[in-house]
Amino acid sequence: MYATFVIWNKHMTKFLRSTEELLGLALQSVLWVVLFGVGMRGMIAEVDGRDYMSYILPGIIALSALGGAVGGGMVLLDERLRGILKEYLAAPIPRLSILLGSATSTATKALIQATIMLVVGILMGARLAPNPLGWLASLLLIAIFAVGFSGLALAVAAVSRSIAGYHGMIFLFNLPLLFASNALYPLAVLPGWMLAIVLLNPTTYLIDAVRALAFGTEVTLPLPLSVAVVCLFAAGCTWLALRLFRRSISA
Amino acid sequence: MAELAITARGLTKQYGAVTALDGIDLAVSSGTVYALLGPNGAGKTTTINILTTLTRPTTGEATVCGHDVLRQADQVRACIGVTFQDIVLDPDLTGREVLDIHGRLYRQPGALRRRRLAELVELVQLGDAIDRRVRTYSGGMKRRLELARGLMTEPRVLFLDEPTQGLDPQNRVGIWGYIRELNRVRGLTLLLTTHYMDEAEALASQVGIVDRGRLVAEGTPGELVATLGADVIRVRGQGEQAHFVAEVARLPFVVRVETDAADAMVLVYVDSGSRRLVEVVGAASGNGFLVEDVTLARPSLGDVFLHHTGRALRD
Repeated sequence: MYATFVIWNKHMTKFLRSTEELLGLALQSVLWVVLFGVGMRGMIAEVDGRDYMSYILPGIIALSALGGAVGGGMVLLDERLRGILKEYLAAPIPRLSILLGSATSTATKALIQATIMLVVGILMGARLAPNPLGWLASLLLIAIFAVGFSGLALAVAAVSRSIAGYHGMIFLFNLPLLFASNALYPLAVLPGWMLAIVLLNPTTYLIDAVRALAFGTEVTLPLPLSVAVVCLFAAGCTWLALRLFRRSISA
Repeated sequence: MAELAITARGLTKQYGAVTALDGIDLAVSSGTVYALLGPNGAGKTTTINILTTLTRPTTGEATVCGHDVLRQADQVRACIGVTFQDIVLDPDLTGREVLDIHGRLYRQPGALRRRRLAELVELVQLGDAIDRRVRTYSGGMKRRLELARGLMTEPRVLFLDEPTQGLDPQNRVGIWGYIRELNRVRGLTLLLTTHYMDEAEALASQVGIVDRGRLVAEGTPGELVATLGADVIRVRGQGEQAHFVAEVARLPFVVRVETDAADAMVLVYVDSGSRRLVEVVGAASGNGFLVEDVTLARPSLGDVFLHHTGRALRD
């Protein structure tokens, strides 16, 4: 799948060249940590025995992974709307490599975003658990989750008719992802109806696992379940992207 | 008969209830320039999309370079170059990157890519602009870059969908020059679509006239025009056309009479225009048809189009 590498490489070249996109993404996430995190920290000293910054960081990492994925989906959408996809389709390369090229570049951007966030969060006072294996496991989980977000973004990009339509659809995922999850508050304080919604959100499981693995919080959901949900989410979204992409190029 | 670079048999394409192609047959010999001439929406782009493996036909079959477009799509893709109707370029890449990435998609080794790039920049005269971002290019430069991209992998057959659409006359003539050179000097087979009659006349060794998803006429520009008669007298006027048409048709030297309702124009095909002009115009007198303008010309592909479709082809 050399073509996958060529397309990934091309997307990363374009990404590193678009300074506005880079700055915007980085700033958006940093503002979350600096403004929201620091502000709330004044009010809430700790949650579940951890400082608030460590508590909200996993959620903000997930959010910035979504931001990265949205940017990656935009590239596929842009190439589709401009017709650049036709250049790939007329070339003797596997159709799947076109989607994989976009998926790998999208996941790469999501991971870069997540990593920036982690570093900023630690600089702002989040405290990691002592076990480096836990950090690695968390990064791996975030990477799998980023693949899922990328699939979601690419699936939407494969069917959107315009850039505005794409952003509209993505926005639908964006807010509930953060607020209908345990990103900002513990599950224990939620009323039953909200708990039901929050438990349907795969982000909840990612956040719970990352908190436990990287920041040493007690798990509130069984760890194997969390890992399974994250993997299922990634597989499901990838499948969806594949399906919608196939449909879009055969039209 | 030379080897066939492109063949098609009974190609049809349905988009829901819309019939884009209604049974197209093609046989394009190697080393020729074949022009599909027709108005927008006639099915030219759909034909190119099928031949370049982008779209599957609803029924029918086609081969390019001897490979089946459905069963051997990758072999077809490896032997063709394409430029699309719209400009399809990444504005944030430089011209050099566009060509280089294209070569890499086809797994061309680095040394070959550098050699091709240098040759093509020379051919399409992009010069130093090749290292600028595509967003700074003019329309003509973009078309030239796309032509270079289509040629990057040394295709045996090049497909050009409306290669000069939206270009100023100077750039059009420039693109024509490259197309002629590629065909004459390198023996490249080209299939291009156009809705400009002069473009088909200037470039094509074979012309296929497409209308409403069907190939209504085919031949060299000379043959197509010759079937209509030696000369055409175009008479534009006001009033009752029918009497005039009937009157003119009765004259012994008239090969054919056609009307173009949209322009209130009557086309009279005759054996020799300058000798028959007076009699043709004379036929208009006294039957309610007021002649406003008369022109005498050799028939053009535009007249051929009108003859076969009953409508004029407009740019």
